Amino acid sequence: MSLSKCLEILLKYSSSFLLGVRTTLIVSITGTIIGFLIGLCVGGFRAVRPDKTADNTVRFIKHISDILAKIYIEVFRGTPMMVQAVFIYYLIYTNVFKWDKMFAAIFIISINTGAYMSEIVRSGIQAVDAGQTEAARSLGLSSSQTMRFIVLPQAIRNAFPAIGNELIVNIKDSSVLMIISITELMFQSNSIAGTTYRFSETYFVTAMIYLLLTSITSLVLHLIEKRLNNTRTSFPQSDTNFYSMSIASKGEDR
Amino acid sequence: MNVIQVENVKKSFDNNIVLSDISFSVGKGDVVCLIGPSGSGKSTMLRCINLLEDIDEGKITVLGHDIGTIKDINSYRKDVGMVFQQFNLFSNMNVLDNCMLAQTKVLRRNRQQAEEKAREMLRKVGMLDFIHAYPSTLSGGQKQRVAIARSLCMDPQILLFDEPTSALDPEMVSEVLNVMKDLARDDMTMIVVTHEMGFAREVADKVLFMDDGVIVEEGTPSEMFNNPRNERTRQFLSRIIRQ
Repeated sequence: MSLSKCLEILLKYSSSFLLGVRTTLIVSITGTIIGFLIGLCVGGFRAVRPDKTADNTVRFIKHISDILAKIYIEVFRGTPMMVQAVFIYYLIYTNVFKWDKMFAAIFIISINTGAYMSEIVRSGIQAVDAGQTEAARSLGLSSSQTMRFIVLPQAIRNAFPAIGNELIVNIKDSSVLMIISITELMFQSNSIAGTTYRFSETYFVTAMIYLLLTSITSLVLHLIEKRLNNTRTSFPQSDTNFYSMSIASKGEDR
Repeated sequence: MNVIQVENVKKSFDNNIVLSDISFSVGKGDVVCLIGPSGSGKSTMLRCINLLEDIDEGKITVLGHDIGTIKDINSYRKDVGMVFQQFNLFSNMNVLDNCMLAQTKVLRRNRQQAEEKAREMLRKVGMLDFIHAYPSTLSGGQKQRVAIARSLCMDPQILLFDEPTSALDPEMVSEVLNVMKDLARDDMTMIVVTHEMGFAREVADKVLFMDDGVIVEEGTPSEMFNNPRNERTRQFLSRIIRQ
């Protein structure tokens, strides 16, 4: 393998690589955003408990949808995305309608990410200090208002590193979507390698491009995270003096 | 007229009896201090009044309503403010928004009215200079004063204090207690769970001593502190006051 050959391939097939990068970015960014929205709904729903005044129908519906959510999360976290991709793509293609590959790819990566995001959002919500909810409820805010204005903003900020991580994972893992032959980076690399018969050089270039994409992404995420933490912190509040805190908590009542 | 009437209330968590047969009443404008050792059920009693916990037996009547039968919990809670030991300011909002959120969402005041009210209450607790600060930048005493202002913004009829000074540095305790004294002077009805005997002695109309889920003794501060009848009360007070 020679580096000059790598450079030659990169330059000669730059437009193919660029198309691959473009598709990879579109699929992974849209997939992460839609996945996050799914996670917000499913995770948020899973974290709320029915009010004390809720009747049995509400409790029953909540119980059933909890089970469904759990099945969704287990299935999509427990099977490889490549298998999900071929299965869902052909299932719909042969039985329902001849759908667009790009649409299929985004659909698959979204529901796959959604499963992970649901757990991220749920744990983010549960990590918010219970006192925040109690204070909001004691002021007369309803449970959905409390969720929307107090808990979710804090949960999302707490979970931001994990959410950003999903984007990086998606940039890399969208490569498995080549199985349904969309023009993402890995698919493009395969065709370039097939034409040039320079396998190691081509895939070296591919690896470098992926590395560049993920590095830039993590840099951007890091900057956003820093900005979020600069203005506010969301750790449970306590007195600044930890010594007095420990005395106080010993005298804490039920 | 009694604004709060607690009758034979019982409450347990699993097999652990926290409140066994509690009865007391609070008149309009009264300040009632709940004292007693840790684990005696004081905070639980307070949380039951605000419906943060359900009672197992008995009856609590607040402002003429049996709160066990209340359908609209949110509209009940806006009349009964609560101040927590851990302050629980909303950490994603600055001081002003902390005080405005429930006003606009629950009382449906417009932003201008809500801001006016918030400023008025923050001035009252001496925190007007900090309206744009985030809770994480405030000291414990400042946070607690904001928390009190946040409750006051809802024009509550009753304020419940759950050990409001227990998480504070000693030198910050007085700034919070002074705010509470002002409220007592303005005839706010208050129930205060506290270990600050000086405050109870000075401000309370009635002191309740709780131990093991029962009210062992109740009386005026002077009866309670100068001449406690019960042996258990005497032990507790002598230990606390010696500190």
